Amino acid sequence: MKVTFPHMGNIYIAAKALMDGLGVEYVIPPFTNKAALEIGSLHSPEEICLPFKIMIGNYMQAIEQGADTVILTGSCGPCRFGEYCEMQMNLMKRLGHNLDFIVLDVPLDIGAKELLNRIGKVSGASTKTKAQKLKAAVDAFKVMHLIDDIEAKARFLTGYEATKGAFKRLLNSCKAEAMNCKTPEEMLKLLYDYRSRLDKVKTDKNKKPIKIAIIGEIYTIIEPFSNLYIEDKLMDYGVSTKKTLTPSWWYKNLVLSPLKLNQLEIKRKARDYLPLGIGGHARECIGEAVLAHDEGFDGAIQIFPMGCMPEIVSKAILPKISREKDFPIMTLVVDEMTGEAGYVTRIEAFVDLLERRKNNVLSGC
Amino acid sequence: MIVGIPKGLLYCRYQSFLDTFFYELGAEIITSPDTNKEILNAGVKYCIDEACLPVKIYHGHVASIKDKCDMIAIPRIMQLREREFICPKFCGLPEMVVSSIPDMPRTTMAPIYAMSKDRLYAWAKKTGSMVTHDTGRIKRALDSAIHEQQRFKGGIKDEGFRLNIALTGHPYNLYDSFINMNIVKKLNKLGVGVITEEYADESIIDDQVKKLYKKPFWSFARNSYGFAVHSAQSKAVDGIIYISSFACGIDSVVIELIKDKTDDFPFMVIKLDEHTGEAGLDTRVEAFVDMLERTR
Repeated sequence: MKVTFPHMGNIYIAAKALMDGLGVEYVIPPFTNKAALEIGSLHSPEEICLPFKIMIGNYMQAIEQGADTVILTGSCGPCRFGEYCEMQMNLMKRLGHNLDFIVLDVPLDIGAKELLNRIGKVSGASTKTKAQKLKAAVDAFKVMHLIDDIEAKARFLTGYEATKGAFKRLLNSCKAEAMNCKTPEEMLKLLYDYRSRLDKVKTDKNKKPIKIAIIGEIYTIIEPFSNLYIEDKLMDYGVSTKKTLTPSWWYKNLVLSPLKLNQLEIKRKARDYLPLGIGGHARECIGEAVLAHDEGFDGAIQIFPMGCMPEIVSKAILPKISREKDFPIMTLVVDEMTGEAGYVTRIEAFVDLLERRKNNVLSGC
Repeated sequence: MIVGIPKGLLYCRYQSFLDTFFYELGAEIITSPDTNKEILNAGVKYCIDEACLPVKIYHGHVASIKDKCDMIAIPRIMQLREREFICPKFCGLPEMVVSSIPDMPRTTMAPIYAMSKDRLYAWAKKTGSMVTHDTGRIKRALDSAIHEQQRFKGGIKDEGFRLNIALTGHPYNLYDSFINMNIVKKLNKLGVGVITEEYADESIIDDQVKKLYKKPFWSFARNSYGFAVHSAQSKAVDGIIYISSFACGIDSVVIELIKDKTDDFPFMVIKLDEHTGEAGLDTRVEAFVDMLERTR
């Protein structure tokens, strides 16, 4: 059994730690690229959303490297993501690939026994003892938190950096080196090391950078290829960015949601505009926009794939927030046809607008 | 108190419920006119571009009555059955409308969970209190509204035609003759009878859905899928026409699932948006019927 999984931001780093710890054979698909998107768009139904197409591309490229089992999380929200597994299974079968899908769904829908059964398929392939397996899982979670932490910190501090590009270089080398680690322990050590190195980068606390919150649909804000590397671009402009939705956030949300203790602050902020969860992360999107305004951010950028049902609702509501709070919000809709030039122009114009509003038009001169 | 009820989206199915409820509360009811060109234009003007055609038209319906009433009933339908949902746009419908259309009167905001009477009562209490404070009256109004709704049986089942097709899709696309340009009449004229999912047995749909790896979690998707696949496999009809609105997330999934299970069975998908031309639709329907006749 050779396991693979679709890309979604930094998950591949945590997945590597997990599989290394379990001693299961795995393939990390090549980083999402143009070719993957093209393969995906070719085979996928036309009207399905962008993440589906990219994921198909990921599978196809992983198959070339010998993968035969896909791990995928499920969901039973009203969002289309929950139906991905069924459609992707059918599609891959039609394309003549005999892939085994392991879909991790919440126990409420498939039953706890079935979930354990499905997890057992993966852990059964491992020869390690139970304690070692558990340790691998714990290590993987630690890795996920650490890398999300490092990334969030680097992206936010970019605006304050004394040497341009210092944080970006550090972040990139951190990710690259993490992939060279042989064991989870080695990776954890490396990440701890990088996290402390972040604090040593010289920053200028007197700077007043533009601060932008990235909000919207979780896949398109986490997977950098799908949003044309917007965070890297903003880093280049010296803009501080923040995003709340990350894999570690998602996990925490999932665990806390049965107790209704998840995202208390975001829910409170969203109450005036969207008091109920409507599926996907629409309420989070609204809450984050309000939260970003309260935290003194200069603007927010909403990103979602074309046709995303929950985010269309939040897109309809965001102008109201923008109007009432005098808070600029731009929406970017991405799909396989998104052209980079037009996209960059819009981002640049938005950053310019925020700069002017800050009354420092000459800051770039 | 004048209550405005927009005739868009699921009004076609829950008309008796909404009308009876507000009538029994003692409110004067006005409804928007049947969908027409002005309503479509107003909807396109107010609604955000990314939304689908039925949602845009709903905005148009609201805009056409917003100045004529004291409050507008916008049903926020969250769930119709346990562990099932409908499109997220329904769950956020009041917010979408209120944020997009200026100068709105009061609107109903309470969520509808139609799984049990108790949960419906929670909605009725909140919504009814906007009209009257008499809780006994609200209770009675809900009872008779539910009673009326249970008597309602929508759907189409034509008899006596040589060719028959199954017409599937979301109810608001099937029963709004402006959106679908009177496709039922067009088909009848060509000598084709139409049958819709309301005439399929619940057990048939359940049987089909059970065969899926994952239970579909949208109520309408479940019905359309079960009905279409059953019709194809039992050869109860000669073909299937699926009416879908452009960029409908649910349809993009259901259509794929149906195609996967029906092989070569004649299946046509008609995509609708605000630019759909009638001539093109005529041609496609005629061609489809011709094909059915030839394969017979």
